[in-house]
Amino acid sequence: VEPANTVGLPVNPTPLLKDELDIVIPTIRNLDFLEMWRPFLQPYHLIIVQDGDPSKKIHVPEGYDYELYNRNDINRILGPKASCISFKDSACRCFGYMVSKKKYIFTIDDDCFVAKDPSGKAVNALEQHIKNLLCPSSPFFFNTLYDPYREGADFVRGYPFSLREGVSTAVSHGLWLNIPDYDAPTQLVKPKERNTRYVDAVMTIPKGTLFPMCGMNLAFDRDLIGPAMYFGLMGDGQPIGRYDDMWAGWCIKVICDHLSLGVKTGLPYIYHSKASNPFVNLKKEYKGIFWQEEIIPFFQNAKLSKEAVTVQQCYIELSKMVKEKLSSLDPYFDKLADAMVTWIEAWDELNPPAASGKA
Amino acid sequence: MAQLYSSVKPTPMLKDELDIVIPTIRNLDFLEMWRPFFEQYHLIIVQDGDPSKVINIPVGFDYELYNRNDINRILGPKASCISFKDSACRCFGYMVSKKKYIYTIDDDCFVAKDPTGKEINALEQHIKNLLSPSTPHFFNTLYDPYRDGADFVRGYPFSMREGAITAVSHGLWLNIPDYDAPTQLVKPLEKNSRYVDAVMTIPKGTLFPMCGMNLAFDRELIGPAMYFGLMGDGQPIGRYDDMWAGWCVKVICDHMGWGVKTGLPYIWHSKASNPFVNLKKEYNGIFWQEEAIPFFQSVTLPKECTSVQQCYLELAKLVREKLGKVDPYFITLATGMVTWIEAWEELNSAEGTEAEAPKGKN
Repeated sequence: VEPANTVGLPVNPTPLLKDELDIVIPTIRNLDFLEMWRPFLQPYHLIIVQDGDPSKKIHVPEGYDYELYNRNDINRILGPKASCISFKDSACRCFGYMVSKKKYIFTIDDDCFVAKDPSGKAVNALEQHIKNLLCPSSPFFFNTLYDPYREGADFVRGYPFSLREGVSTAVSHGLWLNIPDYDAPTQLVKPKERNTRYVDAVMTIPKGTLFPMCGMNLAFDRDLIGPAMYFGLMGDGQPIGRYDDMWAGWCIKVICDHLSLGVKTGLPYIYHSKASNPFVNLKKEYKGIFWQEEIIPFFQNAKLSKEAVTVQQCYIELSKMVKEKLSSLDPYFDKLADAMVTWIEAWDELNPPAASGKA
Repeated sequence: MAQLYSSVKPTPMLKDELDIVIPTIRNLDFLEMWRPFFEQYHLIIVQDGDPSKVINIPVGFDYELYNRNDINRILGPKASCISFKDSACRCFGYMVSKKKYIYTIDDDCFVAKDPTGKEINALEQHIKNLLSPSTPHFFNTLYDPYRDGADFVRGYPFSMREGAITAVSHGLWLNIPDYDAPTQLVKPLEKNSRYVDAVMTIPKGTLFPMCGMNLAFDRELIGPAMYFGLMGDGQPIGRYDDMWAGWCVKVICDHMGWGVKTGLPYIWHSKASNPFVNLKKEYNGIFWQEEAIPFFQSVTLPKECTSVQQCYLELAKLVREKLGKVDPYFITLATGMVTWIEAWEELNSAEGTEAEAPKGKN
């Protein structure tokens, strides 16, 4: 598989939700990859979260409108609460979710290029995410023709009519061609495996089912689920890495299920260009491989109370359960539970509840 | 010489372990098209409607055919559990089969083509689906992790990668989509032209609308739960036969820890049925399903139920108790469910297998 060639494609003259969406990119290098995304992403505002050495200058291709935050900015803005934002790990991207003032977020990694659909056409990933977010989800019953709201599709025979209105979509999880998002052991075992299968489907992940959410190509409704999109404590000074998006995925799924919000997966694809080093990855993932065996049953059984009616309330409740149930697994979870609370405090500070929902 | 080579057919997968069940009221000319894929398998044809009508089956197919007289003769008073004048009668074929696997297909289903133009061997894909495990406990974002070129993605717990045994493979349809009457009425021209190259496990705890048009299952695992209910002649409902079976099967598979897959293979569904006739058949179901689905979503089978038969009888009891209030039909249906299990046991009893099986029957 090859990425799409977008040279010469005009910049989209009618970008959807142009003033209501921010693109969040965590990076440690020059953002040359944005050249290729110009036709689709240039009209939007970017929030760049610079990881690592703050003195390094990141080059952003001309014509893009952006704000950039490095570690010094994060420390200045959040003060002591900056402790909840990871360092030397792409988990730092969630700072971008917090400082955004828009309704929607699209986040993408800087090694993700434009993919081609089977007809050879360049995939406008953001446009597909927006479509996914703007149309309802169907988490209560499986539709065998997948997204019933898509053109040329509908609910099939036997789908209860009372469930056809669907629910609001909070999250749209996109996929990747070329380098698949495998863990270190699978990378080691299958070094040459590439994903070449373009599956032309968008589907709702059913209520009660967890999934491995990858942060490389992800969009969400910040107003609906933003405060739960915390990517945890990873990287520098932490015993674990590469579980940032997984952690967020487990938390948001439990909360979306509780609040009757939908989570979709499938289209759009991006082209994932670069396999990360499996040995480095194994070091980062090592503890997670054991811990997830306990964490997943924990999230599968997590029941939020009826009193938890806002995302913040749900998240605080979840942090208490993490402290109570997972701290015995490792003291790390005690710290993580505290950081979850700090994250919500920081979120509310930057997004005063009274003002939430305003433009 | 060329002919000599081309006449050597490769042995198809599970040739002696799978029966193809086809309910019909007409000549089975559609089998001509399936010849390369079906010819070496045994067919069980369940003739619906007038038993005096002669059904023509293309030459070269190995089959047994049962009409209503045969069903009545074989099951005696228990024949009351087999629907008449409705494709629900197909489940009689599941009961008389002695094979491990069943594939069932409608006679208006033709061979579909994949996006490269290649004809799809639907049965072969179903067999692949059934022979590889399912993943009902956690969603894999690259879909079937056992497929060539795919695997479990980062974050998929290692303890779950062995998967669960697959009991059911539900295939899809290109061309005429399987819509209910209201959707048919509203969208008379809609055709399904989207080929989605995926097989996936329907997660534990999630129900789905199972269509009986292109369906395969492991009869030894889940056969006794594949009852297509009481539909058609003398019943207040039709077109919910496969749905009913799907709800029951899914609840029981979830309880037993087995997998249900959906997706590939596609068949080409040739013919839209009449939406007005369909609306009459479905009418009660449209209301009843609003009660039936919450019922199935909240059903929990007791730990003591360790066989499909036990699960099914327990379910029958709950249907009588909980859905009997919705309409007396469900009381009749619950009785049908019990009779079905009795008839199944009679034809498939452990010690009776040797005696009952019509050996050498072609």
